[in-house]
Amino acid sequence: MQRRFIPLLLLLLGVALPAAAAELAASPFFPYPMKVDRLPNGLTVVRVPFNSPGLIAYQTVVRVGSRNEVEAGKTGFAHFFEHMMFKGTKNFPEGEREKVISTYGFDDNAFTSDDLTVYHSYGPTAGLEKLVEIEADRFRNLEYSEPSFQTEALAVLGEYHKSAAQPYLKIEEELGRTIFTKHTYGHTTIGHYADIKAMPQAYQYSRTFFERWYTPDNVILVVVGDFNDDTLMQAVRKHYGPWDRKSPTITVPAEPPQTKERSVHIDWPQSTQPRHIFAWRTPASRLDTANAAIQTVLADYLVGPTSPLYKELVLDKQLAQELYGDFSIHRDPHLFGLVAVLQEEGNRAAVRDAFNAAVRELATGKVDASRVEAIKSNTRYGLLMGMETAKSVATQLSYFAGIFGTPDALAVHYQKVSEVKPGDLITFAKKYLTAANRTQLTLTPKKAGGQN
Amino acid sequence: MRPLVSRSLALCAALCLGGCATTSQTAPAPEAPPPQAEQAQAPAEPQAPAAPTSVPAAPLERPEPLRLVVQANPASPIVSFRLVFHTGSVDDPKGKEGLTSLTADLLAEGGTQSLTSAQLLEALFPMAAELSSSTDKEFTVFAGRVHKDHLPRFLDIFTDVLLEPRFSPQEFERLRARALSDVRNGLRSENDELLGKVALDALLYQGHPYAHFVGGTEKGLESITLEDVKAHAARVFTQDRLVIGLAGPVDEALQKTVVSRLSELPASGAPRVELPPVPTTGGRALVVQKPTLSTAVSMGYVTPLRRGDPDFFPVSLALSYLGEHRQSSGVLFNELREKRGLNYGDYAYAEHFIEQPGTTYNRTNIARTQQHISVWIRPVVPANGVFATRGALYFLDRLVKQGIPQEKFELSRGFLLGYTRLWEQTDQRRLGYAIDSLFYGTPGFLEEYRAALAKMTPESVNAAVRRQLRPEALNFAFVTQDAQEFAKNLEEQPPSPITYASAKAPALLEDDKAIITWPLPIRADAIQVVPAQSFMEK
Repeated sequence: MQRRFIPLLLLLLGVALPAAAAELAASPFFPYPMKVDRLPNGLTVVRVPFNSPGLIAYQTVVRVGSRNEVEAGKTGFAHFFEHMMFKGTKNFPEGEREKVISTYGFDDNAFTSDDLTVYHSYGPTAGLEKLVEIEADRFRNLEYSEPSFQTEALAVLGEYHKSAAQPYLKIEEELGRTIFTKHTYGHTTIGHYADIKAMPQAYQYSRTFFERWYTPDNVILVVVGDFNDDTLMQAVRKHYGPWDRKSPTITVPAEPPQTKERSVHIDWPQSTQPRHIFAWRTPASRLDTANAAIQTVLADYLVGPTSPLYKELVLDKQLAQELYGDFSIHRDPHLFGLVAVLQEEGNRAAVRDAFNAAVRELATGKVDASRVEAIKSNTRYGLLMGMETAKSVATQLSYFAGIFGTPDALAVHYQKVSEVKPGDLITFAKKYLTAANRTQLTLTPKKAGGQN
Repeated sequence: MRPLVSRSLALCAALCLGGCATTSQTAPAPEAPPPQAEQAQAPAEPQAPAAPTSVPAAPLERPEPLRLVVQANPASPIVSFRLVFHTGSVDDPKGKEGLTSLTADLLAEGGTQSLTSAQLLEALFPMAAELSSSTDKEFTVFAGRVHKDHLPRFLDIFTDVLLEPRFSPQEFERLRARALSDVRNGLRSENDELLGKVALDALLYQGHPYAHFVGGTEKGLESITLEDVKAHAARVFTQDRLVIGLAGPVDEALQKTVVSRLSELPASGAPRVELPPVPTTGGRALVVQKPTLSTAVSMGYVTPLRRGDPDFFPVSLALSYLGEHRQSSGVLFNELREKRGLNYGDYAYAEHFIEQPGTTYNRTNIARTQQHISVWIRPVVPANGVFATRGALYFLDRLVKQGIPQEKFELSRGFLLGYTRLWEQTDQRRLGYAIDSLFYGTPGFLEEYRAALAKMTPESVNAAVRRQLRPEALNFAFVTQDAQEFAKNLEEQPPSPITYASAKAPALLEDDKAIITWPLPIRADAIQVVPAQSFMEK
C-alpha cells in the first residue's frame, strides 16, 4: 500500500513549549493561576490550586490515541493499551494498585480518544504522595504477563459489544473509512471488530507500543486541587525524574487532498431514526491559526439550538428530531460535520436542501453578527459553568493540553474563540464547506423510527 | 429528560476503562419499612428472619409545602436551582404511561407565555444557562444553573417555565414524537444494557406503578393529548409536593423571591398514589429477544431494606465490596472481567441506581418507597451468558456464606470513606443529597454513612449480609438474540462449560468447576420470552 508520511512530532514542536518553569496568571479564559515545570527528561507538570478542601484531581495525558495506530491490523491498540496500564509492575504487581486506590478512595479510570489517552484519579490529598509513586512506577516500569494481556483483550471486546447496538458506532466507522483513505483517523478509537478479536495475539507489539509512546517527553501531568506545591514537586522529581525514554519519530500517513464529493450509505438492520450527515475535511487544530476557534463557533452558528436551521427543521417544521454540529479539536486535519436525526425518511431531501441553502448563504457573504456574539458569550459562560470541581477543571486542561501540546492551550483557544469575527465564518465556509470537499452519509433503518 | 442548553467541553469519542456513561432512567424513593431501632445496645445478633413475602409501601416523609433547602456557597459564581417534586411515573394514569415525563419535558422545553420555545432557547443560550427536567418513578426534578451575571433574567425564565407554561400544541407534538422514538428506538433497539435494566424493573414490579418505563409505553404516549398534559401539570407540580433547593451565591432576597413566586403554584392537586405491596417472589426470568451480538444480564429482588434501616449502611459496604459501580476493586469486576475476560464490567447495588452522566455516581433524587438490590452483568458473548450469570451467583453466594475477609473489609471501608466525599462535590449533588434526606428521614446522610463506616466491623457487616442478601430471591432479565434457546438453557440448566484463550490459575479453575453447574434459582414455569419490538407497548 502506498503511503505518504509526515513527521508526526513536528506538530508537537510547532507549538511553544513552556520554559523549564513558568507561572501563568489567571485570565478571563482560565480563572486560576497555573504553575508549569518541565523536568529535564521532558515531562511537563501542570499544577492549579483549586478550592476543593482535602481533594485533588491527578491526570496524566499521553499524547497517543488511535491516530498513532499506523500499523495495519493494529487499530484500537491505544485504547487497549490504556487498559493494560492497570495491570501492574514489579514493584506493584496486578492488584496492588487497586489496594492503594481503595485505601484512599480514589475515583480512578482512564479514557482514550483519537489523539490522546488520559489517566485520571480523583480523591483525597492524603493519598497524593502515594499516588505519585504508583503512577510514576507504572509509566516507567509497566510489566504484565501474556495471559493477563490476552484476558484483557476480551474485556475490550465486551466494550465493543456494549456499544454495538447504537448506530453512532457504525456511523463513525463508515464516515471515517470514507473520508480518510490513508490517515489513521480512518478508523475509530475502539478499532475494527476484526482487529479487536485479534488483539490477544499482539503481546509483543504491545511492548513496542509502550516503549514507543509512553515516554516523558510525550506526557503532561496535570494536578488540580488542594495540595502543597513544594511537596508535590519534590515527589514528582523523585519518582518521575529517572524516567528516561524518548519518543521516536514515527510518522502518521497524510491524507491526500479530496477532489470530489464522496458518499456512504448505511442500511441499519434495526429500528432507529434515519440520519443525514454532511462532513467536510477541515484543517488541524493549532494555536497558531484560528481554524479551531472558527469551527467551534461555526458548529453553533449553522445548527446550534438558536440557529435558523434548528428553528426551521426541529422546532417549526419538525422534519428533524435533532440537529447538531460535529466538530472536536484534533491534532491533524479532521472534519467538520452537520448531523440531522430525521423524523422520517421522507424528510431527507428537504433537510439536505436546507443544509445546502444555509451553507450557501454563509459562503456568499451573509452572516448574522449578533448570533456570532451570542455564540461567543455562550462559549465563555459555558467554560466557566464547566469548572465546578477539581476534576472537571483538570479534565478540560488535560484535553486541550493533550491536543495542542501546550499547558495553556485551554485559555489560548478560548481567547481565540472570543476573537472570531463574523467575516471569518464566511472565509472559512468559502474555502472548506464546498461540495468537492464534502462527504454525505445517509443512514436508513430497517423500520423508520416512529413507523413501527 | 434531556439537558436543554449545556455547553462545555465535548469530550468526543472517548472510551473509558471502566465503562462510559450508560444513562438509564427509573427509580424513586424508598421508604424505610423496617425498624428505626438504633443499634443501641448491640443486641444479640438477630439471625436471618424469615424472608418477607412482600415489601409493603411504608410512605416516605412529606416535607412541608415549598420546603426550602439552601446550600450557600458565596465563593461560587454559579447559582443552582433544584426543584424536586414528589411526583413521577407512578402518577401516570393507566393508559397514559409517560404522561409525567412528557409533561415535565413540555414545561422545561416548550416555552412560556412570553417566550416561544425558540425564544426560550435564544434567551438561555448566551448565558450558557442550564435548564432541564428529569423524571423518575416517584420524583421529578427541574434543575437550573446560571452564572450570577445573568441571575435576574434566568430567574424569571426558570419560574415562568413552571408558572406560565406555553403548552404549545406544536411543541407537544414534537416532544411526544421524541418520547415515542425513545421507546421504539432508544429503549428497544439501541441500548441493550438499558433494555435489560428496564426489563428487570418490569419483572420485579409486575402490576405495580413502578413497572412501566418512565419515558412511557408506546400506547400510553400515543393516547396522551395536550389537554392531558395541562391537567396533569396542575395535578402534580404543586406546592405540597415541592422542595426547593438553592445553592451557590444565594442571599435571603433570592430565597424570598423564589419561594414567593413558586407559591403561585397550585397548593395541592392529585391525591397521592397508594403503592401496593410488592410480592418478593423470586425465581422469575424475562428473556427479551432482539438481534444483538451479545447478551445483557440484570438480576435483582425487591427488599424492605432502604435508607434509614440500620442494615442499609453495612449492606451498602458489602455490595460495594462485591461490585462498586464502574470501579475496579469489586469482586465481580475482578473475577468476571479481570480474570476471566467475560465482559466490560460487573457491579452490585444496594438500592436503585442510575449513573449520573459524566460520573460513576448514583443520581440523586431518584428515591423509591420500595427498593431492590441488584447485580448488573454487562454484555457477554451469548455462549457465556449462562456462565456469567452463574458466576455472579457463585460470588454472591460466597459473600453470604463466607463474609468479607478482614483485609478486604478494611479496603472497602477506606475506599468508601474517601469515595463518598466525591459524591458531594457539586452544588446540584449537595442539594440532591440534602433533599433525599428529607424524604428518607435520614439527615446528613453521607456524614452518617461515614460515621457508620467508622464503627463497622467485618462481623457486623457479615451479620447484616446474612440478614439481607438472599440469592435465592433473585429474578433475572436477559437481552439476547436466540431467546428461545436461551430460555431452554435456563429451564434445563445443563452445565455451562467455558474455555479460555489463555492459561488460568488453578484456584480459578477450581471455582469454575462449581460455577459451571451452579444452580440457577429460576423456576421452569416462570420463564417468559418477549420480543423487544413489543416491549413497553402498553
